[in-house]
Amino acid sequence: MPACTPLALVDTPSDPFVSHSAPAPRTSQLDVAADLLTLLRHSTTEPRPDDQLEALTLAVAADLPVLLWGEPGIGKTAALTQLAEALDLPLTTVIASVHEPSDFSGLPIVGDDPAEQGVPMAPPDWAVRLVRAGRGLLFLDELSTAPPAVQAALLRLVLERRIGALTLPPGVRIVAAANPRGSAADGWELSPPLANRFVHLQWTHDHEVVVRGLGGTWPRATLPRLDPAKLAGAVEFARRAVCGLLAARPKLVHQLPSSEARRGGAWPSPRSWEMTLTLIAFATAAGSSRDVLSLLVRGTVGDGPGLELLASLDRMDLPDPETLLADPAGAVLPERGDLRQAVLDGVVAAVRTRPDRSRWDAAWALLVRALETGAPDLVVVPATTLASLRQEDWDVPASIEKLAGVVTLSRRADHAADRAAARSAVAAKAGR
Amino acid sequence: MPLASDGPRPLDLDKLFAARLHAARARPYLATALFALHPVESRWVPTMAVDRHWRCYVSPAFVDRTPVEELAGVWVHEVSHLLRDHHGRSERVARERELRGPGERLRMNIAADCEINDDAFGDGLVQPEGAVTPGFLGLQPGELMEDYLRQFRLGPYTQNLAWLDCGSGADGREREWDLGPDGAHGLSEQERDAVRFRVAQGISGRRGSAPAGWRRWAEEAFHPPQPWRELLGAAVRSAASGPGAGEDYSYGRPSRRSAGVPGAVLPSLRRRPPQVSVVIDTSASVSDAELGSAILEVAAISRAVGGRRDMVTVVPCDAAADIAYPLCRGEGIPLLGGGGTDLRAGFTRALRARPRPDVIVALTDGQTPWPSTRPPCRTVVGLFPRSPSSYDEDDAEYIPDSPPAWARVVEIGSGPGRFAVNVV
Repeated sequence: MPACTPLALVDTPSDPFVSHSAPAPRTSQLDVAADLLTLLRHSTTEPRPDDQLEALTLAVAADLPVLLWGEPGIGKTAALTQLAEALDLPLTTVIASVHEPSDFSGLPIVGDDPAEQGVPMAPPDWAVRLVRAGRGLLFLDELSTAPPAVQAALLRLVLERRIGALTLPPGVRIVAAANPRGSAADGWELSPPLANRFVHLQWTHDHEVVVRGLGGTWPRATLPRLDPAKLAGAVEFARRAVCGLLAARPKLVHQLPSSEARRGGAWPSPRSWEMTLTLIAFATAAGSSRDVLSLLVRGTVGDGPGLELLASLDRMDLPDPETLLADPAGAVLPERGDLRQAVLDGVVAAVRTRPDRSRWDAAWALLVRALETGAPDLVVVPATTLASLRQEDWDVPASIEKLAGVVTLSRRADHAADRAAARSAVAAKAGR
Repeated sequence: MPLASDGPRPLDLDKLFAARLHAARARPYLATALFALHPVESRWVPTMAVDRHWRCYVSPAFVDRTPVEELAGVWVHEVSHLLRDHHGRSERVARERELRGPGERLRMNIAADCEINDDAFGDGLVQPEGAVTPGFLGLQPGELMEDYLRQFRLGPYTQNLAWLDCGSGADGREREWDLGPDGAHGLSEQERDAVRFRVAQGISGRRGSAPAGWRRWAEEAFHPPQPWRELLGAAVRSAASGPGAGEDYSYGRPSRRSAGVPGAVLPSLRRRPPQVSVVIDTSASVSDAELGSAILEVAAISRAVGGRRDMVTVVPCDAAADIAYPLCRGEGIPLLGGGGTDLRAGFTRALRARPRPDVIVALTDGQTPWPSTRPPCRTVVGLFPRSPSSYDEDDAEYIPDSPPAWARVVEIGSGPGRFAVNVV
């Protein structure tokens, strides 16, 4: 350790400070230095939710290849240490840039009769130890600063789990890390087929966490635990979420990245959608927040399709129009205005597709309920549409009188629109 | 602001919601966002203010004295702060430029207001009284908050803006009335993104109905254009260090490890610096400043991947390309030309060089015929946008040939995206 060298020199007799002190001190300078280092290294932890670490944990638990994108020195290794502890796996770190391709594809060992017996490819020692242990967390750091041939060998390791003649046992989980394209010194770039096999997680540092950590208190993330009781439901939910979206949006199934800005990142394909499905199931079983799921989904199929999936998950949470129509009195409508309006629109659309008198009445009852429990402006559009669905022999229900306030509100907005138009006309005249 | 003299009156919710309805009718593409806002009555706020969790604090007295049509304008204004992520951008700007104190936050609020107000009103929406516009500060319209922030100071002009306060949703500074992340009816980060995404999709799906500022926001909100330097750098790097050039393993010489494995042939690490040819379109439409910075960039990148300055060749090209210059004489390269361009001549000239280039970087505005077949080396095209504003719709009838599929294309001149949130 180079940092120790000057201190070691202090301890030599040629140093004036040490040679002149008459009774030799029991503790050498190195011991004092060790005490100081112990003090410096002493830090406490505090619980703090950490979305990116939780996302990483879930992806690793799901046994999907993860690629952490982050500038050097922002705590990727520290996060991996914490992850290994949480998963109770021994951590093996391999710095890719100091290895040669043969370290990963295996070193050829020539025997007595190569033509007869072939040339076995010997794996490196750490791989042998990993295989012998049967379990562990393998962290391939600095993938992006390795020469292209090393990167190629490493990708084979990540994706096929083979090192030379060895196959890594299923208990070994692999995480790789790379610097963003802009800061990578060499020609690191993932081709689209390779990028499609990874869960891409952006690793950033939190200013507050760093300042507080240097002050002696580092965060301790509470990591998700999969709930055995939730497994079956989680799989059903994940399948419904992905299939529901892709059935409605066939174009999202496969979109090769076209622009230069999106190269090397996540993009949607049947393969990455399958990974998404797995991750939704894991996040659901672990009870993770939507923010964590958002990191995972966007890191697998990309931002656009990921956000569409999340939006459709929000829709899945909304009450079903048919259930609401069946029991308008017991209906619970969402609090959030935009979701509430989506529900009301859905109810009116359901009446439109199968119009009959009782459904029409039930829809009016729902609108009255919406008016009594929330903002009135949300009810205007659904009420107007519902009114237009009336058939000649249907009487206006009595409850509709309660919606009189909505009509007033709508008129008030109309008047405001008229005044706004008049004012802009005056302003235009004055301007010319 | 003094409260009404006859004691505090309750918030006139009907007026407030009538205004929101008018706003949603006038700006249908913002309806989702407007309805997602949760109004909270507050006697602390001077007018209306938002926090980052999409709550909208409303002063009852302000609602009382403001006509419905102006209130609608305030609704749109406040929701714009949230959609455009002004709180996140303020935080980032504060950290990057080390701006501290309430005065700086007030400036951020004013700059954010300028970004919103220059095209938020009109077309059915009345500009609320006291709205700050770039014109009010003597600035040009159509710029972003970060740009406005550089262009004015607090002074006599802004003196009567000191009461202006759009809340923590506009400038990132927590207010005493904020309910905080744990309060009721807040939106989580993912929910905020989802609302912004739906609004952006609505705007992109209905081209033409939204003003240019909103269309630009919708385009960039989730796919921010990356800085072209990084993209060009990545493209040239990966072209110059692929197999055959740059640093890689070769069997040309035995590896130093071979001694340990008798009988086996191991590859060794060898470096062959890449030969880069820069073909430059010298037609009049590309400015010297753009060209200069692009050439310097290419030279810096090729040096970073192990090339030397004398291994970069520059081929100026208009209708013909006669001479190739080594970059070490770069300062004196005549970039004269004008008139029509034929990049095919430039490609031919670059490929005639010995040794043959590993990479051709073509810097052009794309108004040129392209080679019909793929050249025998990697090709990166740095494309200068043709019109000064890529949102100019008057120029729609002329569509130039796009660069061929075998080239990697980087658009030069588009700035970094600043609307983006969460997309690192």
